[in-house]
Amino acid sequence: MSYTYEIQTKARSLLESKQVDCVIGYEIGPRGRTRPAFIYQPEEVERLVWNQACTHNLTIYLKEQLDPQQSGRLKTKEQTPRHAAVVVKACDSRAVNVLLAENHFGREQLHVIGVVCDGIHEGAGEVGNQRSVRQFPAADPPQFQARCQRCIERVPVVFDTFIGERPSNQKSGMYENVLDDLDCLQAMTPTERTDFWLSQFDRCIRCYACRQACPMCSCPTCLYERDDSLWVGMGIGLNEKRTFHLGRAFHLAGRCIGCDECERVCPMDIPISLLNRRLIQEVETVFGYRAGMAQVPPPFVTVLSDR
Amino acid sequence: MYEPRIIGYLCTWCSYTGADTAGIARLKYPANLRAMRVPCSGRVSPELIMRTFDQGADGVLVLACHIGECHYDSGNHRTAKRLPVLQTLMAFTGLEPERLRLDWVSASEGERFARIVNEFTEAVRALGPCHWRQKENWVRYLDLQTKTIEILPSEVGG
Repeated sequence: MSYTYEIQTKARSLLESKQVDCVIGYEIGPRGRTRPAFIYQPEEVERLVWNQACTHNLTIYLKEQLDPQQSGRLKTKEQTPRHAAVVVKACDSRAVNVLLAENHFGREQLHVIGVVCDGIHEGAGEVGNQRSVRQFPAADPPQFQARCQRCIERVPVVFDTFIGERPSNQKSGMYENVLDDLDCLQAMTPTERTDFWLSQFDRCIRCYACRQACPMCSCPTCLYERDDSLWVGMGIGLNEKRTFHLGRAFHLAGRCIGCDECERVCPMDIPISLLNRRLIQEVETVFGYRAGMAQVPPPFVTVLSDR
Repeated sequence: MYEPRIIGYLCTWCSYTGADTAGIARLKYPANLRAMRVPCSGRVSPELIMRTFDQGADGVLVLACHIGECHYDSGNHRTAKRLPVLQTLMAFTGLEPERLRLDWVSASEGERFARIVNEFTEAVRALGPCHWRQKENWVRYLDLQTKTIEILPSEVGG
């Protein structure tokens, strides 16, 4: 029984029993691209698929689906709370935990369909080589994304429906041959690092794609997009762009679950995930905390523990 | 001789009064420190600190109440957690971590205040001028100046 079939069966039963209003999953678009799908009717569930191009982090749509008023789509509060089901990979399931810990919606509003993930292919979510900066050669066999090569958890941490088989060995072993770019960067001198990052941030066009793709970026008005701010510039000068990227990384400290969606959607190919991974590392060293492993608030919103 | 420009964010309930205490006691500390009075050290957001460095500061000193003495109960807890992580992040992108310092000064500790400012100024002086700010973009700030409170007067920044 394929994962696709299992997801479709579960989605159909959830929609037919009116347990959820919407199932968020993946479908194949008209040009052969795997893309997010929103299923409202039981007869539409055949659109749902599961393959190794399911790269999107669907938890980003949850706030909009479950609380349309807070996300600005509805003027008035609804009488009955909405319910939704979402298909998650192991990494996305950690985002569910972070969102729940931050009280964006109630646990009862959500049905998590957790899928055991064998890794997502590089170039997923794109059509051919039409992207502006990045060029993916048609690799055969297809390469896994860098985040999947680093990933050691294949099983979702939170789920209501579990699809797939628990792997006998937790570590897939894929990650061993990955060149650790983080270590390379940290071995550099401060001046070299400044030059590296300035050359990266220089390409930024402030399109905010990284922010839009991030399930944790949920401010109704982004601090970095306010024209009345006194200390955060909206310009595309190097200083402002650096502040934007560092500030965004800092806002995600202790919350980023490392899905690397920001880096994938970046049209200018800026290695944003390096900043996030450095902070994940730091938060784990200082606070012993890994975002999304349990439904607990991140360290920055709590008081010091020795009190 | 090179004189570092240091911005100090002082909590109004403790460190700012601590600076006063140092003044009343006629303790000497370097004039490199420009004191900024903030309602709580928890108010010093990462954007403020990055902006300060963007504007050409060589060092940023954040002085807060001792843990457990915060006027707002837990403002300095936030600072204590945030600042080291911000320091790591900025160090990762090329700033010397010694240029940002967080310390604790209560209202009666004038001597401690003077000692910390002395130490920090000497540490930053030893590091030399800061290369964080990208000067070619300085002109872009000019059109914003009408509505922007400049942290440093532009003639000091050069």
